[in-house]
Amino acid sequence: MQIAVKNISKDFGRKRNAVHAIKDISLEVDHGEFLGIMGPSGAGKTTLLNMISTNERPDHGQIVIDGLDLTQLHDRDQAKYRRNKMGFIYQSFELLDSLNVKENVILPLALNRANKKLIEERFNYMMQLLNIEKLSDRAIDELSLGQRQIVAAARALINRPEILFADEPTGSLDSKSATILLNYIQMVNEKEKTTILMATHDAFTASYCSRVVFIKDGVIFSEIVNPGNRDKFFEQIINMQRTIGGGDYFNVSKNY
Amino acid sequence: MYRKIIKRSLSNMRDSYLIYILACSFAIGIYGILLSIGDSPSVYIALHWWDSFIYDITNIMSSLFAFFAFIYMIYVGGFFVKQQRNEFLTFEKLGMQRWVIITISFFQTAIVQAVAWLIGLMLMLVFQKFMGMLLFYLMQVHFNFGMYLSWDDLWLIFQVFLISTLILSVINAIKTMRILQKKQRRTIVKTRWWLRIPAGLFGVVLLLSAQVATLYLFKDMRTISYSSRPLMEVAYIMVADIFGTYLVYYGFLPTILNVMEKMRSVSYSGINLFSFKYMKERLFQNISILWFVTELSALALALLTFCYFGYQAVHQNYNSAYPFELAANKDTVKVIGGELKKSDAKVKGSYKTDVKINLVSYYSKSSQSYIRQPMTFMSYSDYKSLPKRMRKYNPKINGHEFLKIDYNSSIMYHNDSKEHDIEVKDAPMIQTAKQGHSFPYGSSMHFGPMMIVPNKYYKNMPSEVKDTFYGWDFKKGDRLSKQQLHKLGNYRDAYYMKVDFKSSLADSTIEVMKKEPNKYEAATYTQAGFLRQGNLKKQFRQGGGFYLFIVALFSIALLVALGSVLTLRILLRDDYQSTQLRTLQKIGVEESEIKGIIRRENTLTFLIPIVFALIQSFAAIAMFDFGRHISKNIVLIYAGYIILYGMFGVISFQVSWRGVKQKFKL
Repeated sequence: MQIAVKNISKDFGRKRNAVHAIKDISLEVDHGEFLGIMGPSGAGKTTLLNMISTNERPDHGQIVIDGLDLTQLHDRDQAKYRRNKMGFIYQSFELLDSLNVKENVILPLALNRANKKLIEERFNYMMQLLNIEKLSDRAIDELSLGQRQIVAAARALINRPEILFADEPTGSLDSKSATILLNYIQMVNEKEKTTILMATHDAFTASYCSRVVFIKDGVIFSEIVNPGNRDKFFEQIINMQRTIGGGDYFNVSKNY
Repeated sequence: MYRKIIKRSLSNMRDSYLIYILACSFAIGIYGILLSIGDSPSVYIALHWWDSFIYDITNIMSSLFAFFAFIYMIYVGGFFVKQQRNEFLTFEKLGMQRWVIITISFFQTAIVQAVAWLIGLMLMLVFQKFMGMLLFYLMQVHFNFGMYLSWDDLWLIFQVFLISTLILSVINAIKTMRILQKKQRRTIVKTRWWLRIPAGLFGVVLLLSAQVATLYLFKDMRTISYSSRPLMEVAYIMVADIFGTYLVYYGFLPTILNVMEKMRSVSYSGINLFSFKYMKERLFQNISILWFVTELSALALALLTFCYFGYQAVHQNYNSAYPFELAANKDTVKVIGGELKKSDAKVKGSYKTDVKINLVSYYSKSSQSYIRQPMTFMSYSDYKSLPKRMRKYNPKINGHEFLKIDYNSSIMYHNDSKEHDIEVKDAPMIQTAKQGHSFPYGSSMHFGPMMIVPNKYYKNMPSEVKDTFYGWDFKKGDRLSKQQLHKLGNYRDAYYMKVDFKSSLADSTIEVMKKEPNKYEAATYTQAGFLRQGNLKKQFRQGGGFYLFIVALFSIALLVALGSVLTLRILLRDDYQSTQLRTLQKIGVEESEIKGIIRRENTLTFLIPIVFALIQSFAAIAMFDFGRHISKNIVLIYAGYIILYGMFGVISFQVSWRGVKQKFKL
């Protein structure tokens, strides 16, 4: 087990106006696992991802990664940990428009003050792996949305992160670009043995995962493990979505 | 709802608005104080002999001040409208009518202006007495300044408030309208390196050549009375500095950042990869503002330099011209002494010196002609026995040297070259004499130059006329009444000397006449009977104090304006730039590194203008401090300016970082 999330909770707002985004969630993720986090809008997927990735602090609970309790670390150490061990792909890409493709991709290595040779090596490898060599000198404005997300993936992976966080990575993409990206992510997961945590509300995207947890109203509602057949897994996810989305009396979590 | 929108906009940019409002309030407060001080009965009573001078000057200065403050408000007010571009465009997308958005912008400006005026007027009321007392202190007047604000001034202030607020609000409404018409979200700056690199290099050449010209100016400035070269140099320096600085900002500095960005060993290290580009982008955006601030800072420093050297020169000239509070000669000493006994004057010190008047002939280098005239001679020991302040501004001499004290043709530039071969009637020729300009007993006690000679020379020399000068210093003035002064008016001229110049100096003579000749002739000289300079000294000090008050106010106001412009420029980032910083944080850049980017940006924005302004103001020093070391006082004045300016930089950084931190919840 690589990641252990223990009874975390998070509220936004104060007193009467407080919104309970995450309520006492516990979760475990193994090394090299491709975990999907699903749920309707506002369920708390992004908040959960942000807390595990140390971008936000939980109000209560612990997040232990490789035996290290990240909630006890100082902001500065958290940032260092984030930079060295984690990679991020966001729905809005979060690329720096003032830098070109190459500069965006190598930024994590430059931040770690890696040597020039290593930077060039890793950059060339990553561009080949994701098949975007031709884009290296292009400005961000000149890329299509799909290309931008693949560049964002290259940036997230260049540091060889142990954990990759993807928050709605296909949210802004057309189906073709989304498929290409997901194939790459799956390839990275298999080749590099990178642990991947992906938040999505799209069943097709989630079907690439090895396991999917469903959250609703800040609590884990259910989870499904990929049986090895993607079509079957896809159907299971759709069914679960239907169950969650139905708002049936029986589907409302007990903790609500 | 509109009230809520305005309230939220004001609250979102509260830090920036606070700085703007404080700067405006300061300007409004100073404007009000200047206006009301001119009208104040306390000033009228305490400084009645200045007549309407103070009223006129404060009125002119307050109008000037209001004009520049208005320009500042137009310029800086535009920053806020620009900052709200996206907000206005979103309102329009949501279906809000254009005129409503424009009205919101109009009222937002009006509210900010009203708050600034309110605080400004409060500052005026609170600090009016303090500023009045400061003015009296600087003018060395012992009088209680009473708070006063006339209805006329109040009405004028109200009118200025209404008109300026209306104009500013309309201008900002027009700016909003233009934003809505254009709809362009982000202007992309064209790099055009083919133009920037040569322009930048040319700018560097211009700046360097201006510095070389400045070095020449240090040497050539003394020739200003007869050569056009210094003026040509000054003109060249000004043009080269102004255009050179702009070109350096436009081309050279971005090129340096670009080169550093291309050097992988530098740019691939840490946050540099991003920060060089970020800095370059901010530089492109702020070229005009940085240039504007540089030139105004240089102007402020140049003004301080002119003021300092001007004041020094006038002060020195005054001291060399009027050393005693009261001076007399042997013909008037009895009458003056009698009048002083009648008054309550407390004599602090009295002096008496014998002098001889004789005819001389020499070639004057400054006027490039032969001169024949009477000259007053004083012995070295008598000269040395006078108070030190009499000799302070003259070159030092020993018992064997000669010192010629003459009028100075220019108050700024001293001609300190030596005089040679001065022929004296029936006495040995003076081979070499040092030159000074500070007359013992005051220049007005003489009709021509004076010569300090060795004791032996003085003892042996014959004289056409013998006289004795008397001088007094008092505690709190000579206390002579108007009637006494009226009586002493008859003794203003002691005697007249008619010189009969022959071809040879030995044959020329002086005829002393007690009565004023009917017709003034070229060769008739008047010996003053007495000289009362204490009163003039007082007025001089007061004038100096008033001058310092105005200059200090303007310098501080300029500093506040420049500092706040830079601070606001840093604070009011585009949304696009803020997003980039946020992205950095998301991908794991440490807080300290983002803080480092903000610090670098802040340092560069503040440092660049002041460095270039200092380089430019070097020329101002060259115009006055030529040929000598740079005065310690001017270094202190500059240091004071830099410290105050630096304080703005520090505050700006703190506020800017706070803003970023709040925005990103770092």
